[in-house]
Amino acid sequence: MEMLWFVVFALLLAGYFALEGFDLGVGLLLPVLGRTRETRDRMVAAMAPYVLANEVWLVAVAGTLFGVYPLLEGRVLFGLYPLVVAMLLSWILRDAGLWFRRRVDGPRWRGFWDAMIAFGSLGLSFGWGMTLYAAATGFTASPVHPLGLLLGVVVSLLFALHGQTFLGWRAPGAFGTARSGRALLVSGLLAALPALGVLAGAAPYLLEHSAPSATLNVLSVMVLPFAPVILGAQVWVWRTFRPGKDADRVPSFF
Amino acid sequence: MDVLDLARTQFAVTGSLHFLFVVLTLGLAPLVAIMHTRWARSGNPLHERMTRFWGQVYVVNYALGIVTGLVMEFQFGLAWSGLSHYAGDVFGAPLAMETLVAFFLESTFLGLWIFGWGRLPRWAHVACIWLVTLTAYGSAFFTMVANSFLQNPAGALVSGDRLALTDFGALLTNEALVFSFPHVIGAGLFTGGMVLVGASAYKLRRRAPEAEFFTRSLRTGVVTAAIGIFLTMGFGYAQFAGVQEGKWDNTGAAIALGLMIEFGQLLGLIVLFVMLPMVRNLHRRRWAHPILIVMTPLPFALAILGWVAREVGRQPWMIWEKLTVADAMSPGLTAGMVTASLIAFTAVLGLLAVVDYVLIARVIRRGPQAPDLGATAPETRSPALSY
Repeated sequence: MEMLWFVVFALLLAGYFALEGFDLGVGLLLPVLGRTRETRDRMVAAMAPYVLANEVWLVAVAGTLFGVYPLLEGRVLFGLYPLVVAMLLSWILRDAGLWFRRRVDGPRWRGFWDAMIAFGSLGLSFGWGMTLYAAATGFTASPVHPLGLLLGVVVSLLFALHGQTFLGWRAPGAFGTARSGRALLVSGLLAALPALGVLAGAAPYLLEHSAPSATLNVLSVMVLPFAPVILGAQVWVWRTFRPGKDADRVPSFF
Repeated sequence: MDVLDLARTQFAVTGSLHFLFVVLTLGLAPLVAIMHTRWARSGNPLHERMTRFWGQVYVVNYALGIVTGLVMEFQFGLAWSGLSHYAGDVFGAPLAMETLVAFFLESTFLGLWIFGWGRLPRWAHVACIWLVTLTAYGSAFFTMVANSFLQNPAGALVSGDRLALTDFGALLTNEALVFSFPHVIGAGLFTGGMVLVGASAYKLRRRAPEAEFFTRSLRTGVVTAAIGIFLTMGFGYAQFAGVQEGKWDNTGAAIALGLMIEFGQLLGLIVLFVMLPMVRNLHRRRWAHPILIVMTPLPFALAILGWVAREVGRQPWMIWEKLTVADAMSPGLTAGMVTASLIAFTAVLGLLAVVDYVLIARVIRRGPQAPDLGATAPETRSPALSY
């Protein structure tokens, strides 16, 4: 049972990196590729239908951390208090940017929220690199370490690459070269690689600190029957918003 | 303030902000789902405009529900790690259900609904908003399961220096839950109904060109508010059967409770015995419209008072008679850390909340002409009709 829940936890965290990674990557690329307001509109429109289905993987990671690793939840989050607060604020500003950018017409309004999307995406991507470094040291070292900062740069670059691949896949030709589904899969794996590495190292420790079997049994009975529904809903998103001529259709709600 | 007061203030501020948006989500979701279903069945353009207009109010409100909710989820680990350390094996289960199943599906289906316009088959699109409603209520249910456990730690036994889960069924049939959950749902419907009433009264008062649209919305709002306040009051009083001994000895909680009951009853009388009987011709009673407009914020204030009564009344316990808030606080938490995060969260979320309410007011002022939601091609807004 501990093994099963470790796999669920690993899948959720790696899935977050592979999925939300391209949303954050597109956010990072907004000031780079989106020189005009129209290009930025189309970039956001291309990723918009996926964002709600992608970011929720991290909500699930935190819930699983609480349910399956209650003894670690506080240690991890409290141990990184300033970093977690900064990442939450980045996440909030990124989301607010997406929800608000088109609610008022006017270049300054949209420009401001586009800047918030880019800023928030950068804060989250960079923060993840530092978090992974701290996790790799068993939360004994401060995340503000040259290696932590380096990992922040690496994760941000991986996400940007993933975001660019996503744009090339979803709206072929609109933002540079067209990319295949296979290329997107590879860039997704690359984006998840840092998380998978830390998870592999932390596996014995996580397995040892799982919640007791009574709790895990309840979670299994309650959650696992919904697994096909959750998976089906995710597949439905990818089928509905597959690449096509309306992929970067504007107006989009975001 | 010492560090404990600061940490409690942070939870109270972010929690209250979160619930202001959640309570409206719970009320509007089923209403938008009904409107969408009627549109799908009739094909009537009026129903389409109602779905898109009230749907737009619903999703703009939803944005703040999400971002404030993120802070709530992570705050347990940031400031209250003693709770997960002591009771994580019990308390973590409903939270995992909420995030891993209910909210996961809610967010996925909401994305499909918002961006599915012109892309999803008609009935599949309707199914999405019903699934969003169902999972939103599921989220509310599991959140209330977790909160009710703090009020009345059922289904758990002390084992060593921690709580162990012994009976998950007892968590779901907790006497602190069975009446409080429908009470919250009633409050959501009441709030959603009163927002429809207030916004429609505003548009009717301004003699907006869409008189039929807002007359219908006003009626839907009155009926929903009546159902909501009836449920809220009934299940509110029913809760006294299972309330913890000594909960109202706390002065702050007792005041909040008294205010909520007094004003809630008064509002209940107005909705059930004045507004509901007048539902057929309330749209023509122009003198009543300013009153209906100023009543709009009251359900929100009552909802916050309800939470203040429930949560302040629990003090000094985090888990009733098992764990105090002082013991639940993260060991090593300093006043400096909480002050910094309290200021940052309050400033950012507070500002965003104000912006969000201004945007909702703007949506209502503009009226149902070409809302952003469901626009699949550029539509022109006629300036003469917009303002």
